[in-house]
Amino acid sequence: MKYAFFPGCTMANRLQFAEKSVRMVVPEFGIELVDLAFTCCPEPNAVRSLSEDTWVTFAARNIALAESEGLDILTACAGCHESLTLAKHELDTKSELKDKVNGILKGMGLEYKGTSSIIHVHQLLFDEIGLETISSKVTRPVPIKVVTHSGCHLLRPQKIMKVDDAEAPVKLDLLCEALGMESLEYMDKVMCCGAGVRKADNETSYAILKEKMTSIMMVEPDAMVVFCPTCYITFESGQRITNRLFETDFKLPVFYYTELLAIAIGLPDTDKLLADHRVKIELPEPVEAKSDKSESIPI
Amino acid sequence: MTDEGRNQELEELRKAGRPCFQCGICASSCPVFRVAPEMNPRLAVDSVVSEGHVPVEGNEWLCSYCLMCEERCPMGVSLAEILIGIKNISSREGKAPKDFVESGEALLASGCLSPQSNRSDKKRVDLGLPDLPQPDLEQVKLIFEATGAYEVLEKNRAAAKEEAE
Amino acid sequence: MTTSDPKGSAEPTEIEVVSTDSELRIGVFPCMCGKNIGAVVDIEAVAEYSKTLPGVVLVQVNRYTCADPGQREIEEAIKEHGLNRVVVASCSPTMHEDTFRKAVKAAGLNPYLCIMANIREHVSWVHRDNPEAATQKAKDLVAMSVAKAATLEAQKELDVPVTQAALVVGAGVAGMQAALDLADSGFKVNLVEKQPTIGGIMAILDKVFPQNDCSICILGPKMVDVAKHPNINLITMAEVETISGYVGNFDVRVKQRARYVDIDKCTACGDCVEVCPVDVPSRTDQNLTWQKAIQIPFPQAVPSSYFIDQDTCLGMDLIRCGKCIDRCEQEAIVSSDTARYIDFEVGVIILATGFNPASPEKIPRLGWGRYPNVITSLEFERLINAAGPTEGKLVRPSDLTKPHSVAIAQCVGSRNIDTRMNCSNFCCAESVKCALLIKEHYPDTEVTIYYQDLRMHGKYFEEQYLKAREEGVKFVRGRVGEIQQYPKTKNLRVSVEDTTHNRLEMLDFDMVILSMGAEGQSGNFPIPISCTSDSFYIESHPKLRPVDTSSAGVFICGGAESPKDIRDSVIQASAAAGRAAIILQKGRYPIEALSARIMQDKCNRCGTCEKRCPYGAISQDGTGKFTVTGALCQACGTCAGDCPQDAIYMPNFTNEQIEAQIQIALAENPEDKIVAFACNYCSYRGSDLAGVSRMQYPTNARVIRSICSGRYSTKFAQKAFELGAGAVLYSGCHLPADCHFQTGNHWMAKREPRIRGWMKRNNIDDERFRVEWVSASEGKKWQTIMTEMAEVTERFKKSKPKPKKPSAKPKKKTEPKTKAKPKKKTATKPTKATKAKSSTKKSTTKKKGGK
Repeated sequence: MKYAFFPGCTMANRLQFAEKSVRMVVPEFGIELVDLAFTCCPEPNAVRSLSEDTWVTFAARNIALAESEGLDILTACAGCHESLTLAKHELDTKSELKDKVNGILKGMGLEYKGTSSIIHVHQLLFDEIGLETISSKVTRPVPIKVVTHSGCHLLRPQKIMKVDDAEAPVKLDLLCEALGMESLEYMDKVMCCGAGVRKADNETSYAILKEKMTSIMMVEPDAMVVFCPTCYITFESGQRITNRLFETDFKLPVFYYTELLAIAIGLPDTDKLLADHRVKIELPEPVEAKSDKSESIPI
Repeated sequence: MTDEGRNQELEELRKAGRPCFQCGICASSCPVFRVAPEMNPRLAVDSVVSEGHVPVEGNEWLCSYCLMCEERCPMGVSLAEILIGIKNISSREGKAPKDFVESGEALLASGCLSPQSNRSDKKRVDLGLPDLPQPDLEQVKLIFEATGAYEVLEKNRAAAKEEAE
Repeated sequence: MTTSDPKGSAEPTEIEVVSTDSELRIGVFPCMCGKNIGAVVDIEAVAEYSKTLPGVVLVQVNRYTCADPGQREIEEAIKEHGLNRVVVASCSPTMHEDTFRKAVKAAGLNPYLCIMANIREHVSWVHRDNPEAATQKAKDLVAMSVAKAATLEAQKELDVPVTQAALVVGAGVAGMQAALDLADSGFKVNLVEKQPTIGGIMAILDKVFPQNDCSICILGPKMVDVAKHPNINLITMAEVETISGYVGNFDVRVKQRARYVDIDKCTACGDCVEVCPVDVPSRTDQNLTWQKAIQIPFPQAVPSSYFIDQDTCLGMDLIRCGKCIDRCEQEAIVSSDTARYIDFEVGVIILATGFNPASPEKIPRLGWGRYPNVITSLEFERLINAAGPTEGKLVRPSDLTKPHSVAIAQCVGSRNIDTRMNCSNFCCAESVKCALLIKEHYPDTEVTIYYQDLRMHGKYFEEQYLKAREEGVKFVRGRVGEIQQYPKTKNLRVSVEDTTHNRLEMLDFDMVILSMGAEGQSGNFPIPISCTSDSFYIESHPKLRPVDTSSAGVFICGGAESPKDIRDSVIQASAAAGRAAIILQKGRYPIEALSARIMQDKCNRCGTCEKRCPYGAISQDGTGKFTVTGALCQACGTCAGDCPQDAIYMPNFTNEQIEAQIQIALAENPEDKIVAFACNYCSYRGSDLAGVSRMQYPTNARVIRSICSGRYSTKFAQKAFELGAGAVLYSGCHLPADCHFQTGNHWMAKREPRIRGWMKRNNIDDERFRVEWVSASEGKKWQTIMTEMAEVTERFKKSKPKPKKPSAKPKKKTEPKTKAKPKKKTATKPTKATKAKSSTKKSTTKKKGGK
């Protein structure tokens, strides 16, 4: 199965190891990635706030590019996923808008038709590949306690994104459990990390992060797992800023899911991925060689 | 955009907000309101519908676009999108915050918000990542041109200059 | 689905003619009505003209035809001259049609052979300034009525017997009340209940608002009354499977599930419970505790008997279990019990199937089902109930400790686009009651109610609200956004904005009660009764007939109609019983004399008529034949309006009669004329009101009355235009819900695009056809429409080439120019098109080939 890969500029230029983990993992499941000349998705908050027309046109251009190659798009960032999915929804439901945008795209030899679908690595792993296949490939389980943060832009608005239940998401937890982790429930699980307001008001953004981290630390996890590079950066680096601003002491390691997947299915050179983490963690050896196949939903 | 166009746009935002019956679910779900009481999405919608603007100028930029309010609104009011609409209007008036304008400039200059740097290139090579094909910047310019984004940037540059003086 | 059992409604293919006269002997009675008509219309001229009309043998002018002498004159004229049709040219039929029909009947003539020509409200009162034209119009209207009278047929006034028994479906408090009222009135009642016991939701509540008296204590005696009433046949563990027939004559088949316990032998001693090995979550106790597979819902259950839940019982034989059989000293357990059918006949049906408490499962952000200390109001009722799982102690499910702080959240699942848009009516009062109960048992526990609007709408409610505030219950205006659980303590954090103070509150509570709303579960009944989109039964008229349905003989009450509390349920149940009793005690149910008949030789069995009828009066039998059940037909004619084969005969409003009227109306100077169709209940009365109010307008219109606008076929407009009409008006009751026959106006509206399509193909200007909605109070609107359409005829007259010489006598029916008649319904746009058309009357398109 071939996809047009859309890492997004944050992942490509700031979280390269996360991109690497995706590229390492997907061939193991028979997926081939193609790189196209995408622009920024564009960022659903910053660019859309300046001009909706600009936002939807950039998104249409990116989708049209994939369509011209006959490929669906695989996103790895929640922001990109939301941006492209919402734009597609707008274009598919408002024919006047579609015509207007195609008028602009015509000038660059592209046309938005609506034939390509947009899928995030989360959906690829859970919906397409499936927990059973993933568990069956696990050779080195990762027995740590984690909390998951699916991210605002992967979950909402649920009616359009259709990734998971927006109020009680479980899929990322199940994906973690398939790798031998114990996923803990915690308060404010679906709360935003605060990234969206950082450009407008720095302190407010970190105040939000502080609230989120406080709730997370209540359950004492070993690490947290995300599926978006912006969330990753916010949690990992943001913790330090929060500590500085509010005299807290957060130091929770963060993982982008496919890193752990790469480790669990025994791919080589995963140390290189972890080397770039700012908050390090020593991953414990599994107690038994067998992988833990429990699929219970944590209470 | 003409005055009439702007008014119509505002009218549509107000119409979108009319179903709001001020229950307060949005406010209790908003992460920003939780830490910054000046950003109350319920009051923002009420103000837009009855007065045509947010309660305090600049309020709209405090929205983190987490979409919690929209997800939970029992009347199906698309709050976050109404605020995006207000942000569009403010941007055209040159009132976008500095960092947002910078994002716009970065997009124009390089087609992405987090531009490549030598450091990042090196990292990619180290990790064995492929060179990503670069977008045609002419196309970026074309989109900016056709969607009025140039004007938005201009307005904000001018406003920033004025402030500096 | 129902198959019609036409007891007493004949379906002739030949239309019966009661009068055996082969010769038409029409009597015309023009009335001066004092000066009301005589001052404007030259009555003598009208009389003279009437004598020349075909079939007329007598013309007699009266000053006051409706007065006693006038009526007696008609009676004598009928007898003396052997009249077999009567046309009274006077006031509006809505005024005196019944009066004259009674007179005609007294003379021995079938009343349906008497019709009227409206020359007062439609002529003399509105054309004061133009007596000449008014007189001409009066002549035309009389001629139209005479032409209609020529083909009138006598109609029988039949009725059907009413079985003196009732079916009440659902035995909650509403069903019980309705059953008791009917039984006390002396009628036999079959009370069918799905659950093993009667009592519904009320039986499991603790105390009820506003007196806060014990629910089962006040309901219990009523339940016993139901059990003991000689006129009530109680059938529990049963559902209605099929119903056939119609009002007065319903054949009901009920399927009763196996109870496995003989209710006559069971003494409810409870010995069986001690030996049953199967634990089942307790339905009565909202799954908060366990019962056994053999169980009684609660001690006061009626029938007072246990039952076995066959899904969870291990098996009533000695190999699998059968312990209860051994234990039962009364030998009441019947392992061979099976489901059975019970058949009976009833005359009326009352639906009291209640509502479903809305599970908050659909709202995960409130944590019910995931966090043990978040409970619903019904779960609270069971906890605080002395007969409940904790013997009346309010405890936290997570650790069985007493809660020190309780939050109550309102509008859970109601007033929400994702679940139900409507308010559930009782939850605000319910929450105040819960708060008062908590305070009564635990004065030190803090109680906070989070509400959006506190609807204390009922009698005595406001003082309970005051009492709650005085007891220290906190009221905060803000709808709960989310509830989160602390991982270790299982306490709850409630996030809500105090909107009065623009302040976010994230407070900790030991327990949260979610005020459950009501979910509709109506529908899915063997007789199709319309339901709202949120599954509550729809009443015949929201104000004037709130317990009737559009199916004659079927009534609704209680929670099945809309969410309500106990008092309103009881009120509505008695209302339904009262309405049902009217039919029962009369003993006979009238069949509409003018009900539709399907002419089987013309019918091609397309089934369109069945789809049009809002009363379910048309059905197809086993042989594929479509027939009308006279007892259900209301004679609206919507079926006939869309019948592609013209195979439906609407007595007194036949295609032939209407087309004859159109022809007469357009016999001379058709380009001047507006052929105006007006429905009996709204538009015709609106036009009458214009007359009563003496609103003046031009004389162009020739009104053709029908019972409902659903009758107006596309063919009438086409015929009128083919005969050269200047303009055509189709006027009906306002959309969406004013039609007195439910949906007639909707079907009429759907025909507009087809008519306009035909007009376009025949180069007829759009503005010459109008579809309007005129209510009985809109006389002014009628005047405006008449004036505007007169201008349209002026424009039309100017634009067309000189008309041929007008013919003096009414033309014979000509073959209509054949244009492709659309057999299928073309995709129609909804009524927005209608409104647009009426407001763009001014835009004329230049006619091709112009002047």
